[in-house]
Amino acid sequence: MLSYFCKLGLKMKIHCFSQKMFCTSALSPLPLPSRMETHLWYVLPNEVKSQSLLSQYVDLLPPPEKDHVFSMRGDELQKSALLARALVRTTISRYQIYSRVSPRSLVFKKNAHGKPEVIWEQSDDWHPPQLHFNLSHTSSLIACGVTVGSPIGIDVEEKERTLKNNILSFAKRYFSCEELEVLSAISDPEVQRHKFIKLWTLKEAYVKALGIGFSGAPFNTFTIRFGGANPNPEVLDSAIAVVPLEKPTNLTTNWQFKQLELADSHYAAICRQNDGLLGGESMKVIVRKTIPLVEEHCVPRIDSIVRVDELT
Amino acid sequence: MASIAGSSTFMASLSSHKPNQVSNFKSVSLAINGKASPSLKLRSTPSRFRVSCAATPETVDKVCSIVRKQLALPADSTVTGESKFASLGADSLDTVEIVMGLEEEFGISVEEESAQTIATVQDAADLIEKLISKN
Repeated sequence: MLSYFCKLGLKMKIHCFSQKMFCTSALSPLPLPSRMETHLWYVLPNEVKSQSLLSQYVDLLPPPEKDHVFSMRGDELQKSALLARALVRTTISRYQIYSRVSPRSLVFKKNAHGKPEVIWEQSDDWHPPQLHFNLSHTSSLIACGVTVGSPIGIDVEEKERTLKNNILSFAKRYFSCEELEVLSAISDPEVQRHKFIKLWTLKEAYVKALGIGFSGAPFNTFTIRFGGANPNPEVLDSAIAVVPLEKPTNLTTNWQFKQLELADSHYAAICRQNDGLLGGESMKVIVRKTIPLVEEHCVPRIDSIVRVDELT
Repeated sequence: MASIAGSSTFMASLSSHKPNQVSNFKSVSLAINGKASPSLKLRSTPSRFRVSCAATPETVDKVCSIVRKQLALPADSTVTGESKFASLGADSLDTVEIVMGLEEEFGISVEEESAQTIATVQDAADLIEKLISKN
């Protein structure tokens, strides 16, 4: 079966700038993430200008998704909604899961709390992968995280985003006391704003990973703590930990976090389960910048920006 | 490559569908060739179907104005009771900021469970009336 890339007659250009230097040929399938890896894909709407390309994206969508895209108010929002659907469909298909998946054939549903999932084709001779994904978008960047064997939540936010409300009033209303203290202790307004945005993305990523909705995990019922609930100072990125504040709680804590910068313009947070496989190593994330159906680039890994003294 | 900057008909030309005007349908399930296509459920909004205080036009207008301000919408954009926050481009942070703005404007407190059910301006206005009448 010809891969859908062949059928469309498009060249796949794959450039890898990562130190790990793995290069794949244009048509070979991308391996699924190992259980220890997280893949993060992103697209910048500003880089997608071709009307014919956008119309190819529209062609990938079933009618309800098309309706949703065109129900958005205005060109920019419609384009962003369209790119989000194109990104998730092409990204999952990139793994060419035994050639059974194409962007158009994927079927999605939402769980009881509204979290999107793939409905895999069922058959006797095929066991679907335990692939999990999560999407997040801003007007200027759309991202999709992919894992195998672990639920995932991601959130992206523009670094320069400002709040209409006062940051500390907002944190007092919605964040935990400890987080409010952390923010209050920062005197420089810009540093404080950046810290707020980082905290927001981490909290959002956690709630999205849990998949139980905003009301299932109100933001003031847990703290994101930097510097770790884990007493072992050797362990990177358990530097970020989630601490539930109520007992008893349905909030689980065996989650690991990663904070990244993307495209110099956005903070991203990833949350996935910590199943001990990494043995204390920090989350392995492979970042790829893409234009769906056209090209993708591996982006060198940027370490957590939470503790400056740990940057390599 | 065609540039799309500033073209107001660009995305419209891609749409051969009229956007679905029905805001109240909860799920659509079609059987095509014997296979059910995905049942797309809108976030369940049981409050729509309960008898609730109808919001006054003034309340709806105030909500519209808070939403406009939060989302920095152009003056000529239409925001009505039927407008959906998501369609106007509100992400989760915008929505929480809007709820916070509504709390301050109306002197109410909105629990997360209620906040999650707000999809349109009318939902927000109805919830506000309900909370005000409880105070």
